[in-house]
Amino acid sequence: MPILIDEKTCLSGCTICDFFCPGDIIWRESREEPPEVKYPDECWYCGACEDHCPVDAVKVVFPPEMLDCQTPVETLMGLPARRPA
Amino acid sequence: MKSPAARLRPPSEKTQIIETDVLVVGGGVAGCLAVLGAAEAGARVTVCEKGGIIERSGSVAAGVDHFFSVLEEGPEWDTPEYLLRHVPRLTDGIADMGTTARLLHGLKPMVHYLEKLGVDFTDPETGRKYYRHRSFGMPGEYTINFDGRDFKHLIGRAARNTGALVLERVMVPEILVEDGRVRGAAAFHIRHGTFYFILARAVVMATGETNRMSRNASGLPFDSWHTPYNTGDGQAMSLRRGARLANMEFYDCTLCPKGYSTQGTNAFVGGGGHLINRQGERFMFRYHPDGERARRGDLVHGIVSEIMAGRGPIYCDCTHLPPEEIHRLKETLGVDRPAMPAFFEQKGIDIGKAPFEVTVSELSSRHGGTFFRSSGILIDPGTGTNVEGLFAAGDCSTMGAGISGAAVLGKVAGEEAARHALAARKPRALPEEEIAALRGAILSPLQNPGGYTHSRFEDEVRSVVTDYVGFYRDEPHMREGLRRLRALRAREGEMTARDHHGLMRVHEARSIRAVAEAMAASAIERRETRGGGAHARADYPARDDATGLKMIVVELQGEDLRVSSVPTGLTPEDTRSTVSLGEASAHAHTD
Ligand SMILES: Cc1cc2nc3c(=O)[nH]c(=O)nc-3n(C[C@H](O)[C@H](O)[C@H](O)COP(=O)(O)OP(=O)(O)OC[C@H]3O[C@@H](n4cnc5c(N)ncnc54)[C@H](O)[C@@H]3O)c2cc1C
Ligand code: SF4
Ligand code: SF4
Repeated sequence: MPILIDEKTCLSGCTICDFFCPGDIIWRESREEPPEVKYPDECWYCGACEDHCPVDAVKVVFPPEMLDCQTPVETLMGLPARRPA
Repeated sequence: MKSPAARLRPPSEKTQIIETDVLVVGGGVAGCLAVLGAAEAGARVTVCEKGGIIERSGSVAAGVDHFFSVLEEGPEWDTPEYLLRHVPRLTDGIADMGTTARLLHGLKPMVHYLEKLGVDFTDPETGRKYYRHRSFGMPGEYTINFDGRDFKHLIGRAARNTGALVLERVMVPEILVEDGRVRGAAAFHIRHGTFYFILARAVVMATGETNRMSRNASGLPFDSWHTPYNTGDGQAMSLRRGARLANMEFYDCTLCPKGYSTQGTNAFVGGGGHLINRQGERFMFRYHPDGERARRGDLVHGIVSEIMAGRGPIYCDCTHLPPEEIHRLKETLGVDRPAMPAFFEQKGIDIGKAPFEVTVSELSSRHGGTFFRSSGILIDPGTGTNVEGLFAAGDCSTMGAGISGAAVLGKVAGEEAARHALAARKPRALPEEEIAALRGAILSPLQNPGGYTHSRFEDEVRSVVTDYVGFYRDEPHMREGLRRLRALRAREGEMTARDHHGLMRVHEARSIRAVAEAMAASAIERRETRGGGAHARADYPARDDATGLKMIVVELQGEDLRVSSVPTGLTPEDTRSTVSLGEASAHAHTD
């Protein structure tokens, strides 16, 4: 999960993270239920949700693909660059 | 704020028909200013934004920290005319001087206009108003530092207060053009699915740039340095209906901490940090006389070349900086990307203690390495296109210049669209069968069986772009890439969506593919290397002014792209010319 929401701290009736997320990732459709991270694979890791939560109930958690990234730059280049000169 | 539960209407099977003078597609910076411009000019305005709320949508939702402007405060460099003379050099000779002039003359009035909306251009560090510094290789200190965390909130609120009809969480996948004239657009709600048909006399495209196009280091496609939710929808839907795109061969890329595609690393090197290779050597001077002060694209190419030469990994080293500077860099780390400090913390990076590894991001189709030469919908100085009634501004157009460009030309687009709409005839209502057919086509992925998802389709586009069109290009590979991208077009209709959110992603995937195809077709035509790392040909590694001083334009002819070019009449060394290319190439919209 890219986003952890502390359900105990989260304010009932608040919908800030739902509305402020630019990617429609967090949904809070009812005030009784806590917000749901509905499309975790589509998170931008921008931090807008964490930044604007009035009670610090949101935390962005970076996944291993980002923290322990080992991708060589060659795989981001085109074939001509990878072909031996 | 009302809760979404209160705002949501139950899904309606019936198409909602809306009639408006000006429809603005995208409620980002350009879109909000277009709403303001059009409403102030007396038009009825509707704006569709696929994000949650226009006070917080788009690239600058989280905040901004600089605004680029001429202010005419006295110094020789501080006039539109002075800067204009340097534009051919800044853009490597690829610019439309007429549109650039319109933008530069609009900057100072825009600063005052934004101040009236509540934007405060005071530097948070020095407390000085209009505290400016030099950046982006500009010939003067045009960049105002300010605390823009509420910038989007202020312009979004002002746009809403005009009384415009604001449709949020509403995506526009298609516009309608009949006999070369804009008729309106179709749209749907990305959560509950309500389908809209919006009849409009003029449309302003303001959908931002194109991302999720090529592979990145983490392999997570939404980990992109620019907004992953800006996917070239405006460019693609305008192209499909006859508009021209230009400068599509150029790309934008940044250096970033390894594993996180984000802007911000420039601030470290700008603040005195060094880029070093595995031997601890400052290598940038090998590639550019300005070393770490070179343009972003040159830094990217320096890093890549150094790694390819076997001297990677590359690090950003700030350890020699004085403690106050380290403190300042840490404090400002998260201004426009609030999650940056968390990344450094979770990865265990302390910039004051040890160098951290950097790499390069994926490609973005936007500014092409410099202001005034963007990849997008070809506009004239009045933001008009070759399609009557279709206007464009911001990063989806050929005149991108950050929030400044989006604000100035967004407002122009709103005003011009209003003028056009108020003089235009009332549009004829669309026959019901036609609306039903359009609706059926747009919603069809919801009915598709099988497992061909937008992610699979997009992954294929990304691997073609990365391997064949990408970073270092040559003709045989790009031709193969173009062939594969065209083949993928045939599979678009197979994509499935489970819900309306997924339907949005399917339409985004179609846009990404269309922009990638335009990129490949245009890049083949530019048989040279140009633009400070914005277009690098392995088979033509040098700049060639004999063939290269042209703007490459694409448009749809039947199913395929027709590529043409317009000489810019500039040379990179030119400091006199004021030719207007837009007038020559995009004049067809007038009447
Ligand atoms: C993190 C970050 C920081 C930045 N900081 C600065 C800065 O300090 N200064 C600066 O000058 N520039 C900055 N930029 C660049 C700047 O944000 C862009 O140049 C500017 O926002 C462009 O404005 P725009 O209106 O074209 O795009 P945006 O502001 O991104 O707006 C596009 C809008 O269109 C919507 N949209 C897209 N497609 C559709 C569709 N099909 N239907 C409905 N809606 C749609 C999107 O949801 C979005 O809200 C920054 C960018 C980023 C990502
Ligand atoms: S980090 Fe950004 S994209 Fe991810 S859930 Fe939070 S607001 Fe949405
Ligand atoms: S912003 Fe914070 S308090 Fe508000 S709904 Fe989200 S998690 Fe709960």
